[in-house]
Amino acid sequence: MSRAQSIMGMATLALRGMKRRPTRSALVLAGVAVAVFLFCTVDAMRSGVERATQKSAGETALIVYRQNRFCPFTSQLPQSYESTIAKIPGVASVTPVKIVVSNCRASLDVVTFRGVPPQEFAVTHSGSASAQDMQSWLSRGDSALIGRELAQRRRLKAGDRFTAAGVDAFVAGIIESDLPQDQSSAFVHLSFLQEQAKRGGTGGVVTQFDVRVSDPAQMDSVAQAIDERFAKDQSPTTTRAETAHVARAATDVIVLVGFAQALGIAALVAVFALVANAIVLSMRSREKEISVLQTLGFRGVHLATLVLLEALLLGGVGGMIGAGASYAAVSLARTAMTMEGVSIAIAPSFAIALIGVAIAIGLSVLAGIVPAIIAARQTIVAGFRS
Amino acid sequence: MQNTNATTPQIHGSRDIIVCDNLEKHYSRGGETVRVLESIDLTLARGAFVALMGPSGSGKTTLLNLFAGIDRPTAGTLMVDGQDLTKLSRAQLAQWRATSVGYVFQLYHLVPVLTAYENVELPLYLHELSRAQRHERVSEALEAVGIADRHAHYPRQLSGGQEQRVAIARAIVTRPALLLADEPTGDLDRVAAASIMQLLSQLHSERGQTIVMVTHDPSTATHAQRLVRLDKGQLVEDVAVRS
Repeated sequence: MSRAQSIMGMATLALRGMKRRPTRSALVLAGVAVAVFLFCTVDAMRSGVERATQKSAGETALIVYRQNRFCPFTSQLPQSYESTIAKIPGVASVTPVKIVVSNCRASLDVVTFRGVPPQEFAVTHSGSASAQDMQSWLSRGDSALIGRELAQRRRLKAGDRFTAAGVDAFVAGIIESDLPQDQSSAFVHLSFLQEQAKRGGTGGVVTQFDVRVSDPAQMDSVAQAIDERFAKDQSPTTTRAETAHVARAATDVIVLVGFAQALGIAALVAVFALVANAIVLSMRSREKEISVLQTLGFRGVHLATLVLLEALLLGGVGGMIGAGASYAAVSLARTAMTMEGVSIAIAPSFAIALIGVAIAIGLSVLAGIVPAIIAARQTIVAGFRS
Repeated sequence: MQNTNATTPQIHGSRDIIVCDNLEKHYSRGGETVRVLESIDLTLARGAFVALMGPSGSGKTTLLNLFAGIDRPTAGTLMVDGQDLTKLSRAQLAQWRATSVGYVFQLYHLVPVLTAYENVELPLYLHELSRAQRHERVSEALEAVGIADRHAHYPRQLSGGQEQRVAIARAIVTRPALLLADEPTGDLDRVAAASIMQLLSQLHSERGQTIVMVTHDPSTATHAQRLVRLDKGQLVEDVAVRS
C-alpha cells in the first residue's frame, strides 16, 4: 500500500472536515488568528527593542548626555564641549546634536528634530539621501531631511512643509537609514533648531553629542574619560554606548513589552486549548465515521494522521491569517515607540510571521496528539455502538 | 450443528471462501458472559450469494462482522479468502480488509463531506493506483451501480436508495473477493429495496461476486442462493433456496 496515497486520502478528508462544521471551524480559525496576531505584533515590538538596545561587538557610537537628565528638554550641554571631546584620545568624531521632540513621554507618534552641523552631517550621512536632496538640504536653512518611517507616518514628501513641537520646516528629502533613531527623526541645521527652540541662542546649547570612537575596545575608557573631563564642570555629563543610552531611555517600554510578550505567549497557550477542544469535539461526533474508515481498511496510523492533519490545518490556516494580518498592520502603521527622544521602530518581520505560524502549527499538532491516539486505538465495533 | 451446504453453487471453482470451525463469540456484560455465537461450523463457497437470517439478537450481524475481520472470535478458527483471521494482528487485519472485503452498511455510512465520487474513491487511496487508474475504477463502480450521473452529489443530495448504491460502489470498487452486506435494504422503502436487491443479484450473476447478506426480510432473502438461519447464537438452518 502506498503511504503517500493514503495520506493524500486523509488530507482530502481533513480539508473537507473543515467544512463539516463551518461555524465551529471559523471560530477556531478566528481564535487561532487573533492569538497569532497578538503574538506576532508583540514580538515585532520586542524585536524592535532588541535591535535598538542589543550591544554589538563592533559598536563605536557613544552618546554624551547631561548627567541625571532624562529628557531632551532638560539635557542641555554647551556646544563648546565639542572641541574638548574631540581632543580626548580614541575619539574619531564628535557631532553636537540638538533634539526637540513633539512629546517627551512614551508615544507611538513623536517627531524628533535632530539639529546637526550641516557640513558634518553631509559627510557622515553621504549616501543616505540622494545628492539632489542633500544639496537642497544644505542650501536651505529651514530644511529637513526626514526618516523614511516618519515620512510614511505623516505622509510627507520632498517639497512639503510640516510643523511639530513648534518647529516649522521645509522637507528637502527623505533619508534612508537602518538605524531606528534616524527613521523617525527630522534632521535640521543645528543653528536653525537652536533658534527655533530659543534655548540658549545660536551656538549655545545642544542636547547631546554623538561621538564615534576609533576602536570598539576603547568604548568604556573613552566614555569614562569624557565624563571625568566634565565632572567638575557646570554641566557634568553621562556618556554611554548608544544602545545602552536607548535601553536606559526605554526602560519603561522594555518592561511593558516584556509584559505584553507574556500575554502573547499566553494567547498561544490558548491556541493549544482551543484546537484541542475543537479536535476532541470533532472526533467525538465522528466515532462511527472512524469505524467506517477502519472497515474500509484504514489503519490506526492513517486515522492518527487524519486527526493531526486536521489540527495542522486549523493551526496553519489560522496562524497564517493572524501572522499575515499582523505583518500588514505593522507595515501599514509604521509606528515607532518614542520616549525621551529615543525611537524604537516597530518593524514588520517575515521571520516573526513565520515563527508565529510555525508555533501555531506546532501547538495545534501537539493538541491533536491525544485525540489522534484515541482515534487510532478505537475499536470498530465500539465506534459503531457509540 | 450440521453443515448442509451440499447444494451450494460453485461459480468460481471449488475453493471455499469462508470456512469457520467451532466459531464462538462471547461478550462480558455486567460481570456475565453473553454467548453471542456458539459452535458455528460453516463453509461458504466462492461465488455464492448467501442470506444470513434470524431474529434480533441471534448473532447474524456479529457473524458478519467476524467474516469482515472487524471483530474477533473468542474461540474457533475462521478462514476467509484463504486467510486465518484469528492469526492476524490489528494492522494486518486492516490491510486484509482493504483488499479482500467490501462492506455495505444498513445506514450507508457515507462520509457526508465527500461527494459520491470521492466516497467511492476513498478506499482506493489504500492501493497502489495512479490517479487515472483510480478514476477508471471509480467510474466503473459508479456505472455498475447505475449512479454515475450523480457522482458530484453529496450524500445529503441523494435519496436513501441512491446513497446505498454509492455505498455498494464503495464496497466493490476495490474488487474484493467477498461482499458483505448488513441489512442493505433495512432503511429503504419497498421500491428502493427491490432496486438494491436487483443490483446485488446483478453483481452476483454478472460478476460472480461472492455475497453474504444479513437480512430479516424473507422476500429479500429470496434473491440469495443459500439461506443460513441463526437463533440464539446457534446455526439452526442452512439450505439452498435456489440454484
